[in-house]
Amino acid sequence: MFLALIFLGFTQTVSAVVELPPISPSAIQRIPIAVPDFKYMSPEQTQLAREMSEVLSNDLNLSGVFRPLDPKGFLENPQAIGLEASEIKFQDWSKQGADFLARCSYQVQGNAMRLDGRLLDVTGRKLVGGKSYTGDLRAWRPMVHAFADDIMMMVTGERGVFDTKIAYVQTVGSAKEIFYCDFDGSNPVQVTRDNNIALSPSWSPDQSQIAYVSYRDGKPKVYGFNVSNNSNYLISGFPGLNITPAWRPGKNELAITLTKDGGQDIYLVSPNGQVLQKLGAGSGSSISVSPDWSPDGKKFAYVSNEPGNPQIYIFDVTTGQKKRLTFSGKYNTSPSWSPKGDWIAYAAGDGGEFNIHIIKPDGSQDRSLTSGGRNEGPCWSPDGRMIAYSSTKQGGPAIRIMYSNGTGDWQLTRQSGAQELPDWSPRKNRQ
Amino acid sequence: MKNKHGVLLVLMIFTLIAAVSACTKKNVPPPPGYGGPEQYGQGGAAGPGGMDDAKWRELGINSEAEKREFLERAKAFENQDVYFDYDAYTLTDPAKKVLDEKMAFLKRFPKVQVTIEGHCDERGTTEYNLALGERRAHAAQQYIASSGLSNLKLTTVSYGKERPIATGHDEASFAKNRRAHFVLTY
Repeated sequence: MFLALIFLGFTQTVSAVVELPPISPSAIQRIPIAVPDFKYMSPEQTQLAREMSEVLSNDLNLSGVFRPLDPKGFLENPQAIGLEASEIKFQDWSKQGADFLARCSYQVQGNAMRLDGRLLDVTGRKLVGGKSYTGDLRAWRPMVHAFADDIMMMVTGERGVFDTKIAYVQTVGSAKEIFYCDFDGSNPVQVTRDNNIALSPSWSPDQSQIAYVSYRDGKPKVYGFNVSNNSNYLISGFPGLNITPAWRPGKNELAITLTKDGGQDIYLVSPNGQVLQKLGAGSGSSISVSPDWSPDGKKFAYVSNEPGNPQIYIFDVTTGQKKRLTFSGKYNTSPSWSPKGDWIAYAAGDGGEFNIHIIKPDGSQDRSLTSGGRNEGPCWSPDGRMIAYSSTKQGGPAIRIMYSNGTGDWQLTRQSGAQELPDWSPRKNRQ
Repeated sequence: MKNKHGVLLVLMIFTLIAAVSACTKKNVPPPPGYGGPEQYGQGGAAGPGGMDDAKWRELGINSEAEKREFLERAKAFENQDVYFDYDAYTLTDPAKKVLDEKMAFLKRFPKVQVTIEGHCDERGTTEYNLALGERRAHAAQQYIASSGLSNLKLTTVSYGKERPIATGHDEASFAKNRRAHFVLTY
């Protein structure tokens, strides 16, 4: 753990300045914010002044809440801009159209760095709040992401998702392997080297493990990957299927589709492979696959073909009851329950095309967010404001991200080959 | 005189060891296009198909004629797939006919190990197709199991749409990929 947080001791108001609008078809009004190059307090690693401000700007832009101003239009030399509220020329920033100013300074000493971030309210001409971050110089990216998260907290009352990761399946030659990258697409890390078929990554609730399926043993089994010590281990290797693992929120167990007892059903399994419960979502010779948990861990959405074709169902673990969710279209799979609980995303197939739909858990307000091509495998950001999915929009398929109302939409992965089956990690547990 | 005998004996032993080790081969199924036992044409421990005596005994196969019959029929057994309709795993009449022929082979050689692979065409989603492939393999296995043939070594594995045999994007290719494929291990 190379990141430490210190309160600087100056005033910090942590309250919602802006209330985020609910999902609606119209575009979200963005807040203009100025992010000048960071100020270096000593002439070391001066190139980071520009780099770090760009990472911060990018984060704030991708959040959908802010519109970072073009720094080329800034009047002052960024190294000369003051740090404290008393030193800031608020009128000038107002004239440039900024509602907020993110003013950061940093100091490098040997292998360590200290980053001081301040958010200033231009209209109110005051400091909103600030934080200090210290750690290894190589951890400058996570420090900037942490400040972006804190800006979101100060302005919207909820932390951003900039320290999150997105896991996905990447083709490597004729094989498929699991990778994960930062929220902004940087730093891809390879999780499996099985030189076989690996699928369906699923993050644990504390961001410490990734469960996935691999054919390295000749048959599909569920494995786990420990992110901190880079080790892989077997979770479920029963005869037949061991597929579509989904880590349960609040509990140390996974929902996995098994066929070891003849029929296909979803089971609760512990991380060391102990079967805790056969849930009874399946019936007869039906298909039961792709569970995805509600945020309270009491229900999950899954796919069943009991009606004669694949549809999304909801299973209540407490009562053992299942209820059909989707009724339109003939091929609905890949459910993903928003961490806010209010929407379920899924892939709706129609004549060779697939589109990402969202629907309320009570089955109302079904609508499509994409149009054209194959758009599959949706997963939500932890704040429920974005959806990552795979799309053939620009070849690939590649992983794309859009806001939960279908706007935005940018490409996350830019490697060659194909990327599919994304899974968005939770936030790290941090204050 | 004694030394000469000694050297001869050692030479004989070496020759024997060399002959035996040259004949012990890894047991792999013959590759596609395998032309038949004539290609191997060696007697002794190797025999047709590169199988050693121990493996043949495990299968309960002893005569040369039986071995040749097995190898020819094994090829046909593996090459003929069971096909399915789109998004379905019920067995059609043609599918059952193919399974009946496979059961005739299994009745004749019940000790062979069989893996039934389930496959799908590319149109559906990845995870659902893993589940669908399993149901296809399972349907084939159940048909065989319920016909009275017991004590068979049958296992299933689903590959979903990950290992297509036909790579086109037309209905003809799709149809070839919606299959249960039988693989023998011997």
